[in-house]
Amino acid sequence: MAVKERPGAILPEIFRSLRRKPATEPYPFQRIEIPEGFRGRIEVSDEKCIGCSKCAIVCPTECIEMVASERDVAHAGRTLKRKRKPTVHLLSCIRCGLCEEACPTDPKAIYLTEKFSGAYTQRDVVVG
Amino acid sequence: MSVLLLALYLVVFPGILFLLGFGLFSEWYDRKLTARMQNRMGPPWFQPFADFVKLLSKEDITPQGVPARLYAAIPLFAFAAVATAFLYVPVVGASSPFGFPGDLVLILYLLTLPTVMVFLLGWTSSNVFARIGGVRAVSQLFVYEVPFFLAALGPALALETWAIGDVVAAQRGGLWLVLLEPLGFAVLLIALQAKLERVPFDIPEAETELVAGPLTELTGKKLALWNLSKDMALATGAALVVALFLGGPTLPGVALDGVLGAAVAFAAFFLKVLLVLLLLAILKAALGRLRIDQLVDWGWKVLTPAALIQIGVVLVLKAGGWL
Amino acid sequence: MPEMELPIGPQHPALKEPVNFRVIVDGERIVRLDLDISYNHRGIEKAAETREFSKSLYLIERICGICSHAHATNFAKGIEALMGVEAPRRAQWIRTLVAELERIHSHLLWLGVAAHEIGYNTLFMYTWRDRETVQDILELISGNRVNYGMNAIGGVRRDVTDAMKPRILEGLQRLEARATYYTHVIREEETLLIRTRGVGRLSTDRAVALDAVGPVARGSNVGFDVRRDDPHLAYSEIPFDVITSPACDVFGRVEVRAHELVQSVRMCAHMVENLPPGELMAKVPRAAPAGEYVSRYEAPRGELVHFLRTRGTDKVDRLSVRTPTLTNWPSVVEAIQGHVIADIPVVVAAIDPCLSCTSRMTFVDVDAKRTSSLTWDDLVEYGMRYYAEKEGL
Repeated sequence: MAVKERPGAILPEIFRSLRRKPATEPYPFQRIEIPEGFRGRIEVSDEKCIGCSKCAIVCPTECIEMVASERDVAHAGRTLKRKRKPTVHLLSCIRCGLCEEACPTDPKAIYLTEKFSGAYTQRDVVVG
Repeated sequence: MSVLLLALYLVVFPGILFLLGFGLFSEWYDRKLTARMQNRMGPPWFQPFADFVKLLSKEDITPQGVPARLYAAIPLFAFAAVATAFLYVPVVGASSPFGFPGDLVLILYLLTLPTVMVFLLGWTSSNVFARIGGVRAVSQLFVYEVPFFLAALGPALALETWAIGDVVAAQRGGLWLVLLEPLGFAVLLIALQAKLERVPFDIPEAETELVAGPLTELTGKKLALWNLSKDMALATGAALVVALFLGGPTLPGVALDGVLGAAVAFAAFFLKVLLVLLLLAILKAALGRLRIDQLVDWGWKVLTPAALIQIGVVLVLKAGGWL
Repeated sequence: MPEMELPIGPQHPALKEPVNFRVIVDGERIVRLDLDISYNHRGIEKAAETREFSKSLYLIERICGICSHAHATNFAKGIEALMGVEAPRRAQWIRTLVAELERIHSHLLWLGVAAHEIGYNTLFMYTWRDRETVQDILELISGNRVNYGMNAIGGVRRDVTDAMKPRILEGLQRLEARATYYTHVIREEETLLIRTRGVGRLSTDRAVALDAVGPVARGSNVGFDVRRDDPHLAYSEIPFDVITSPACDVFGRVEVRAHELVQSVRMCAHMVENLPPGELMAKVPRAAPAGEYVSRYEAPRGELVHFLRTRGTDKVDRLSVRTPTLTNWPSVVEAIQGHVIADIPVVVAAIDPCLSCTSRMTFVDVDAKRTSSLTWDDLVEYGMRYYAEKEGL
């Protein structure tokens, strides 16, 4: 492979870049396109959850805590009395989605959303 | 010039306040151009000023074992040297009101001081990175200073004068010296890049090798002042190149008087400075950093001979009577 | 100037992760280099022993950000081998696709970082802009830009649907043009050539003797690539070339990675177009039978080896991770001999160091104010003493 050395071999690209629009996406002044299936924040649907705790069991980081929450929930044609509901320590969550796979309800009571923004300054949220 | 006008010149325009603004503008323009060449957005126009203000509010630390007063004075010396040098560069007229025969030599000497200050910074900081960076700065000084002086000597030799005002006045008719001495122009630009310690010659401050080189222990107000001096040096260097080779604040064929004349002259000066800054930014964006031994090698084998050849050509032209 | 100690690290702009080089310099010349790689040790191997496979998979994935899929896939296929389960063909192909996309991502990132180490920020910006294309493809397939979470024991969790394919192919086309451009630029740009040619020389014999792997070995003309020599996943079915370079210095390693970029892009396009139909997951038992397995994989940095031992439970009994960066450090210490300070970032960046993969323990004696590591002989002796005292062997 012959090597044709010269300084500034990248100059043509530089001049091309001067003519083009910059590649920067000026977030947050411009909307970012999010593909389907993006792993965003975990959210829990209060109407659907039956409190089976499967999500808390499979979570690799053990960031799902079952807290007391009573409610009647319709599931698979029956009405169940739910005793507990999961809360997710959002900043320990690694967004793997195992909880969503393990959830038995349809549509899922715990699911990945497409929300990605969320910087927190409260300590109790940050240190899960 | 009356005392009031002289004072206004010194303080406001094109004195210290103008130089501050001009320096900050040069930094912004350089950063914006570099960013666009790298296909990104670049900072907004107030970014250099914002950086300056932010640095002023940071904690100012002087490490143990460092002579505190001397250390704090070094950025001030650099600032003073560059500011004084700018006084002699013509900005609105053919010559600055402080100009005198020999002011070209004075500017060149004043512009050498910041590099000596870099070395002092490195030597007095009790920091191994700073020390190595300071030594590299002096090694680099020996390499580029000779071509820089020689290239600046070219116009002086061609026009047989040591006053910048005369050099600018001679180019009023439109025969810019860059057309006569293109090699000298190129050498001056490259040597200026080395003097300002910008890529590919930012060896003393090589971020990935020496943290920040001689500037490692600078913090807070000292760092703010130092960055400001660097910006002003960029502006002064570009203005010097414009005055020597591109005809300074003159437009060929235009000779107006009064305020309108001054405004046209300043506009011409400004546009030419933008061109020089563009060339310096291209040099910065297109190349990677050299090693100090490679720079010494290339400087003595290519740069200095090129400057000498240019001087030789000028001498021959003068001897033959074509100049 | 007398000899000075230059502390490159643990915090330094040249390093992306903490490592400590205590460099003794005489002026600009390097006299000696001491290496301390313990700063990122997190006890992952021990932590994996207390978690079930499905959970420790995610732990292993996070050993490193850039080679996350490598670790996860290597672990998953090791456990599958111990269980005697084979992942379905489509799952293997999808795993390979993500693996090659990860290689593209890693090499583009590395090219940018190497350019930054020599002050060549323009190339840095261009390569990282192009890296966004491969990140978008990975985000489309897996939902995440790093730590893809594609693997499960027995197969993959997400599918590459037909709707995704046109967008992936379009991105790959763009990447191929850019990757080809970079192979030209590295050969032509003079400042890059003078900083990398003749620097960090590692002859073929020394590369073999020091057990260099990956592009470091291939840049010294050692034709060793686990994808060809020990085919795993779908590599036996996909055509590709093993790139070597006879240059035996940093430039050789740059060349190898740039050409591997082009190769990987073509492999990905081939895989997307010829993806076989089938299932995504095989049924796996909960526990793995007792056994030992050595799982090998060609990560972007070289050969990655996981040693797994199971005891019939649903947790690993012992996991040992030998990463390519760990193997390549001795070649850095050797290659840097006789160079100047300015070459340190270049030679270190040339092995593509991933400290998160590497870290091993160091022993800190607080009273004596000393840190030390154990040599192989010390370790053997310590092990024999331990087992003699504790278990009477």
